[in-house]
Amino acid sequence: MSVTTEHANPAATAGRPAPRANRLVSTRAGGAMVKAYWDNLFTARDRGATVVWYNGAAINPILQAAGVEWCHGEAFGARLAAMHLEGPAQQAGEAYGYINELCSYARTTLGCALLTKKEALGQVEMDQSPDMPSKEVLAARLPPPDLFVNAYAGCSTGQQWDEVSYRLFDKELPFFKVSYPLLWGNKSDAGYLRGEEWDNASKYVAGQLHDLIAFLEHKTGNKFDWEGLRESMHYIKRAAQLRLDALELCKARPTPAVFWDWVASIAPINFLPGNQALVDYFQGVKTEIEERLAEGVSALPNERYRLAFDGIMNWNKVGWLANKFAEHDAAVVCGRYTHNSFWHEPHLIDEDDPILGMAQHYLLCPFNHSAQNLAEQVLRDCETYGIDGIVFHATRTCRSATNGQLVLAKMAQQRGMQTMFFEGDVADESFYKDEILQSRLEAMLETIDVQRTRVS
Amino acid sequence: MDKAAEIDEIVKTLAKVAEDPAAYATEWKARTQRKVFGILPMNFPAEIVHSAGALPTLLQEDDAPITYGRSLLHEFYCGYTRSLVDQAATGKLAAYDGIFLVDHCVALLGAVDAIRFELPEMPVFLAQFTASMDEPSARPQISGRIGELRQRLEELCGAQIEDAAIHRSITIYNRNRALLRHVYEMRRSGRIDLTGRQMQALVKSAMVMDIEDHTALMIRLIALLEALPAVPSGQVRLHVSGHFCHAPRPELFDMIESCGVTVVDDDIYTGYRFISTDVPDDLGPIAALTRWYFDRNNNVPCSTRAQKTADWESYLGRALEANGAQGVIVLMPKFCEPHMLYYPELRKEFHTRGIPHLLIETEHEGLALEMLKTRVEALVEIIRRPALAGEPA
Ligand code: SF4
Ligand code: SF4
Repeated sequence: MSVTTEHANPAATAGRPAPRANRLVSTRAGGAMVKAYWDNLFTARDRGATVVWYNGAAINPILQAAGVEWCHGEAFGARLAAMHLEGPAQQAGEAYGYINELCSYARTTLGCALLTKKEALGQVEMDQSPDMPSKEVLAARLPPPDLFVNAYAGCSTGQQWDEVSYRLFDKELPFFKVSYPLLWGNKSDAGYLRGEEWDNASKYVAGQLHDLIAFLEHKTGNKFDWEGLRESMHYIKRAAQLRLDALELCKARPTPAVFWDWVASIAPINFLPGNQALVDYFQGVKTEIEERLAEGVSALPNERYRLAFDGIMNWNKVGWLANKFAEHDAAVVCGRYTHNSFWHEPHLIDEDDPILGMAQHYLLCPFNHSAQNLAEQVLRDCETYGIDGIVFHATRTCRSATNGQLVLAKMAQQRGMQTMFFEGDVADESFYKDEILQSRLEAMLETIDVQRTRVS
Repeated sequence: MDKAAEIDEIVKTLAKVAEDPAAYATEWKARTQRKVFGILPMNFPAEIVHSAGALPTLLQEDDAPITYGRSLLHEFYCGYTRSLVDQAATGKLAAYDGIFLVDHCVALLGAVDAIRFELPEMPVFLAQFTASMDEPSARPQISGRIGELRQRLEELCGAQIEDAAIHRSITIYNRNRALLRHVYEMRRSGRIDLTGRQMQALVKSAMVMDIEDHTALMIRLIALLEALPAVPSGQVRLHVSGHFCHAPRPELFDMIESCGVTVVDDDIYTGYRFISTDVPDDLGPIAALTRWYFDRNNNVPCSTRAQKTADWESYLGRALEANGAQGVIVLMPKFCEPHMLYYPELRKEFHTRGIPHLLIETEHEGLALEMLKTRVEALVEIIRRPALAGEPA
């Protein structure tokens, strides 16, 4: 066995216990905030609140200012998958007729819709166990919707899935859809945050957000709270800036935090209310990272490789993947899903008149770009964070996340970077193959070692 | 030559064009010295390309196994998109002077982006049509996109496209669609017994060839068909549904029909869905093409669109009442997201109406025809002996 192979698979050869990811402690507060959010939402109907089901972009500040409670379908699907409780919802979907090659987020959430309807009819048996809610009960706990809003950028399935939810609830509830053009680049001036297409698309979406507000006012009878919207966006902008500052600190070698920590911070920035608690959360994350830097604490005990992760998250496998990469001394430092998403260009938000900047962020969904646009962002991040290789998660049922990946990999290779693909899925474990990830990761790390040997 | 032989000859001529669009495009280009643009399904207004004096050819899946395309598009994309990318990677799109599309299926967009990377010199233009038909902002947006298409075509063809030219193209295409619909009507009523393979050749060739040449052949064909005596069929009448964007393999129709079945109607893309709707001729050209987009989805709803008031399943229910089909074969290309999402709604409708149906997933490579035949035979049996019809096939 070559020396480089030993480096590439240290856990197997060096006789030391497999290193584990030293995850940030501050993100646990986010977990508690998110749990409290869902627990509160589950009681929305009892409190007489109006509930909107929505998918896609973070339009929650608009929903908040419209005086309604919001249920982000994908977020709930991700939550179930992360808790390994997606089974009942997916089985309900399968019994209804969904084929397992269909987007597993949609399958899970549509399964929840079926269970919610069933629960509303009193057909789900409530579990009396004090510690552990029955699996089916959790999947069925979403409050039934009063309205639907779809605001899915980048993916036709995201839009069509709400169209089906609307049908599952008997085609009776009010429903508004925001449409986003793909940032495609027909013209030579097109690119990330620039060009005529970007300007036109921004205005088109901003116009639709104004239409959405009028729709919400009309359907709920509530006057839209513009001041409330400005206030939430003020807090969101501050929280987003703190998140960016904290990400930036991870340029350090070894890195004080990894991609998996940022994954843990997605839910708060994606759908929690814009308020001081959100700012405090990201301040806490940033402070912990600063402390780690000051104390010389790193995310991995022995960072040897710096990688980027491309693709949507594999929610059933977050902790597992974090340790898998740590075992190989591979710090996943950045990723498209975490770094090019979720209010990541806060300078675009004008706190006094936030609609245009919000529209622009929705357009900047990480799956709403051409491959050329993607390359501009991802390869820039690779340079910023000193990345050796890109790990592509070929998400079996999310073609939106896999669009452009093979092209992007070719572009990265042209720049001398290593790339690897592994198959998995956003919320369906059955597509994941451990051996494939293991062998491809080892092969890539080995190649990085060889490359380094040549350079030295 | 007798009438049946003449019919056969015309259909074979059309089938040949449909089988190899690139060969036809190359020959047409050499003959006319004009441009040929590849257009993509399913809502592209071909009239706008025609009015620029160019040939709009709807790119088709080809039969070749996927080779180089594998390195550009993952294997879990529908056969159509994988084939398109492979055609680009193997030099089969060389005949085209550009590629245009308006549709937004996530798989299609991924495929076209890969083609753009592979063929950097090829003009590729996406005029993305808003898929949600319900909001008031959609119509002006679509009109704007058609305007952009017109402008890009003017640049590529080096001449202005006059309104009158678009009107003329609209008339020509409406005429062609009407002729094809007439053949469909004759098939529904049992007046003619063209096979699924033959019907596909008629529509698919209309997607590919010079539309006026196609119309000329259709006029001859219809005259011959009308002169034939009707042949009443005692076979089981089936409706074939689904299969977006690309044509099901003709062997599949042969197999289905070999099970004692007459396919009386369909809503597949290379079938009735393509020809269902005319462009209104009483509006300005851009407004007319915009209206057509909305009208089509009202006539034959498509699950790639988002519209509260149009349901594919309700349409199918009405279609089955009208065409008297006794069962449905749903053809679903593997990995086709919009189809997978809506299939349960269709299934529910069939159950409610007591209509037996069979779901067949198709793939680019490999169709287990013998195995599928057993399932089609089971469906036919259930229809013939309704007591068996407890469950769908
Ligand atoms: S395919 Fe991917 S992007 Fe599309 S709806 Fe599903 S998870 Fe979202
Ligand atoms: S609609 Fe279906 S067949 Fe058409 S490109 Fe999309 S996935 Fe493929």
